[in-house]
Amino acid sequence: MAKYTLKRLLYCVVILFFVMFIVYVLMYNMPTGFVEQKARELASRPNALKSYAEWLADLNAQYGMDKGVILGYLTWLKSAVVGNWGDSWAWTVPVLTEFHNTVWYSFALGLVSFVLEIIIAVPLGIVAAKKQYGFTDYFASIISMICISLPTFFVATLLKYIFSVQLGWFDLTGMQGRDYLNLDDFGKFLDIAKHFVLPSLTLTIVSIGGLMRFTRTNMLEVLNSDYVRTARAKGVPEKRVINYHAFRNTLIPLVTTLGGSLPGLFGGALITETLFAIRGIGYASYISMTQADIPFTMFYLAFISILTLLGNLITDLLYAVVDPRVRLS
Amino acid sequence: MSTYDLNARLKSRSTTQTKNTTSEMALDDVARVKVLSPGRKVFKRFIRNRLAVFGSITLIILFAFSFLGPLVYPYGQKQIFYTFEIQNVNYALAKQNTTYNGYDVDTSIELERTVVNSMNSSIMKMQENNLDSMLIPGEPYGYQIDKIADGVYTLSALDLQSIATVGEASVEIGTYDSIKKTISFTSTEVAGLAEEAAKSIKGKDGSFTFNGVEYSYTRGAAKSYVLTAVMDGVNLTAQDPGKGFTEAVQKAIQAGSTSFEFNGKTYTFVQKGNNTNVYLAGEPNTAKVYTCLTVDTLVTGQQVSNAFKSAVLMALKDSSNGAFEADDVSYTVRNEDGAFVIYDADGNMFAELDTFTVRRYTGEDSMDFDLKEAIAANIMQMNEEGSKTITFEHRLPSQGENGEYVYDENGNLLYSNAEIQITQRNTGEYVINCDQKNYVIDRYAPPSFAHPLGTDGDGFDVMARIMYGGRISLMVGFVVIIIEVILGIIMGGIAGYYGGWVDNLIMRLVDVFYCLPMLPIMIIIGAMMDAARMDTYLRLMVMMAALGLMGWASVARLVRGQILMLREQEFMVATEATGIRVRDRIFRHLIPNVMPQLIVIATMGIGGVILTESTLSFLGLGVKHPLATWGTIINSVSSASAMAHYAFIWIPVGLLISLTVVAFNFVGDGLRDAYDPKSKK
Repeated sequence: MAKYTLKRLLYCVVILFFVMFIVYVLMYNMPTGFVEQKARELASRPNALKSYAEWLADLNAQYGMDKGVILGYLTWLKSAVVGNWGDSWAWTVPVLTEFHNTVWYSFALGLVSFVLEIIIAVPLGIVAAKKQYGFTDYFASIISMICISLPTFFVATLLKYIFSVQLGWFDLTGMQGRDYLNLDDFGKFLDIAKHFVLPSLTLTIVSIGGLMRFTRTNMLEVLNSDYVRTARAKGVPEKRVINYHAFRNTLIPLVTTLGGSLPGLFGGALITETLFAIRGIGYASYISMTQADIPFTMFYLAFISILTLLGNLITDLLYAVVDPRVRLS
Repeated sequence: MSTYDLNARLKSRSTTQTKNTTSEMALDDVARVKVLSPGRKVFKRFIRNRLAVFGSITLIILFAFSFLGPLVYPYGQKQIFYTFEIQNVNYALAKQNTTYNGYDVDTSIELERTVVNSMNSSIMKMQENNLDSMLIPGEPYGYQIDKIADGVYTLSALDLQSIATVGEASVEIGTYDSIKKTISFTSTEVAGLAEEAAKSIKGKDGSFTFNGVEYSYTRGAAKSYVLTAVMDGVNLTAQDPGKGFTEAVQKAIQAGSTSFEFNGKTYTFVQKGNNTNVYLAGEPNTAKVYTCLTVDTLVTGQQVSNAFKSAVLMALKDSSNGAFEADDVSYTVRNEDGAFVIYDADGNMFAELDTFTVRRYTGEDSMDFDLKEAIAANIMQMNEEGSKTITFEHRLPSQGENGEYVYDENGNLLYSNAEIQITQRNTGEYVINCDQKNYVIDRYAPPSFAHPLGTDGDGFDVMARIMYGGRISLMVGFVVIIIEVILGIIMGGIAGYYGGWVDNLIMRLVDVFYCLPMLPIMIIIGAMMDAARMDTYLRLMVMMAALGLMGWASVARLVRGQILMLREQEFMVATEATGIRVRDRIFRHLIPNVMPQLIVIATMGIGGVILTESTLSFLGLGVKHPLATWGTIINSVSSASAMAHYAFIWIPVGLLISLTVVAFNFVGDGLRDAYDPKSKK
């Protein structure tokens, strides 16, 4: 297993190298990128000592943009490997500082919706499988399909319209109320929690569909397996068949996929955070990407690529851990 | 209604029975078992799935709506709609005119631009000092401004000779020629100055003292120096007009008069700094007449020429009797209680001169005389009351259905009473407001019969935009999926069939593309296209290509997996044994067997692509305005206030996106179940 893990990790490094190269090429070729804008801004100052072209050359040298794509990428890679991610251009702080400032909001948001998703989707999926072709099954299937098909931005807008505009229960956007600074610590926590309700609801709605279908499919597979038939033939009560024999076996794929999606909790929800103006990492990266902030974008994309690869690896490893029949090779 | 014919039934049954009995049938005869072709079998299973059928019907309707709808729907996606709306508009502007406009009297006289440009300030200076006449020295002419009536001034050119300066002034004494060592004096000779100058003048400029007077010199042309000295008292700058002139000047200044007579000539003083200059003025020739009065004709909108204006203003001179001729018509102007009224030859009132101007807000003079009078009267009343606003009723030209003016059968304007409000601005102007019917862009019109879903913020018909947007959204879905499938089949097919290092290489590539985060990459590409200011159609192409490139990995993975499985089966061994070409083996025998899964994954993929596309367009990074897609329609009302007020725009569109994706997913699900009933456990 250790050998397998090592091999996978090596693969991941290679993949990551190429993924980041593609991203770097894209960012590098941004027509009017951050550097150009900055140079124009500096050159148009009242007592600018250098022309636009001179500033551009200066800034390019400063930001390591004058070496060409490949050398530039290698330079970035060299400093990134030792943990030096540079300063964010758009946020004007070190990349890691901005990361620390934002990632925990994203994680909180992700965790809440992850827990809600499991609480809602797994029981629904099991009930649907138990009553296959029944009303509950159809109902759950349709609901899950609708949830899969809803665009995030539409759900967010709809929730805002209903709960903020029509009912006035929550603020439209933002993370803090207007009297946030006057509150005590617990009040501050409650205030932020209140502002996280709609975003986490949005995330939950758009994600429960997939998990529900997954649970249902796997539960059905287990329910049709021989040992369940045997248990039923033996006269084991249906409740015990479902909860004891079937569910525990359904847990195998569930635990592996959910385990694999754990790293993703740190990745942030780009659209949701942007729409609700939650200062999470998704929002920060969206701003960075649209402003061609190479250091932060590169960091963020590397970060979520690592999370994806890590998620896949965890899924595969968990499979071997949870299911003794599976051998990794 | 058909009758049941028992005899015919029995007859037909007996014939079939005889047929069956005549041809002996085996137990395993194929004719006994109703066999469906694989395709029909799939279709039958598909039809049985209610959700799939619902999805199919929805999709058919959506396609018809998007692709056929625009053919019958009367509006285009970029058609802007206008409407007539009653708005409280700034109808007119009234103000006390304080700026003076000049009208030519004699164009043959050349005027200095600086003098003409500073007329308003010159007139203001005259008003401050209560002067009736002012002299403006200039070279070689001078100018004179005369007040001929209240608010009417003439500008004349005249010969002007500077005679003397009074007060402490730097006076030009003469020119010193350093070769001849002589001085040519300007007015009075100073004895001994030439000798002193010869001694003292060195270099370019400097100064020396002679007889207690300080002389300064500067080098002019050809070794000559200009000598100046600061002198007090009356300093002559030209030939001495005669004995006793200096005394006469001082006397006149002490008397405080602005001009005096000496030897039969009139001399004029012009104040310049602390000094007074004395000029000998010639006969003035009037070049322009300036006024702050405006002509309000009794006939609405009648414009008078500039020649008329200058003629009427010149007629205001005290010396004239008020009669004047302009454009070959004779008029008379009379001063009646401080107002100037112009009468035509028949003695009818033709126009009025007034400093109080009332104009339409656009600046044009198209208002009725009685309305102007009424406004002026109301402003007067308002000022008396000390209020800043007043409301009154007056007749205004009535407007028809389309905002145009209405005429009766004789071609005269029809009038109707309207409420008019006058408000004084802080600048001292008066704004006249009233309700007018205006032709405006029909923004955010609520749903109506003409616009079933209303119009959006640009005056576009939302229904039309949804139709055209559906075209693009659906097209994007299909094109992207086709790109994905083609790339996926080629790459997956090659990898699965050849195996070995080719497989390894392609699968690592698949891994790379699998790992690429789609949404961030698309956002970066969108921002790139923003920066490049790309044309919106080109953006569409680039976006489709990028989405296709990003999505092929999963298809390739599926194709490869299937091919690895199928490769081991007997029919593939058979193709190898019969020596079929490799290309045919892959694309004619392997790929068709992967087709069912491909169709399923493609159908469900279209939904995903439509979601991504609409998300990007919603963020403003996909297809751009004015091209419609479902995402851009929602984007156009995504601001907080628009979202709250114009829910009738974005809710239907959002539901439509969801419905489309749901339908594709249902169909995909149904297809999978139909192709592979075993998966439907």
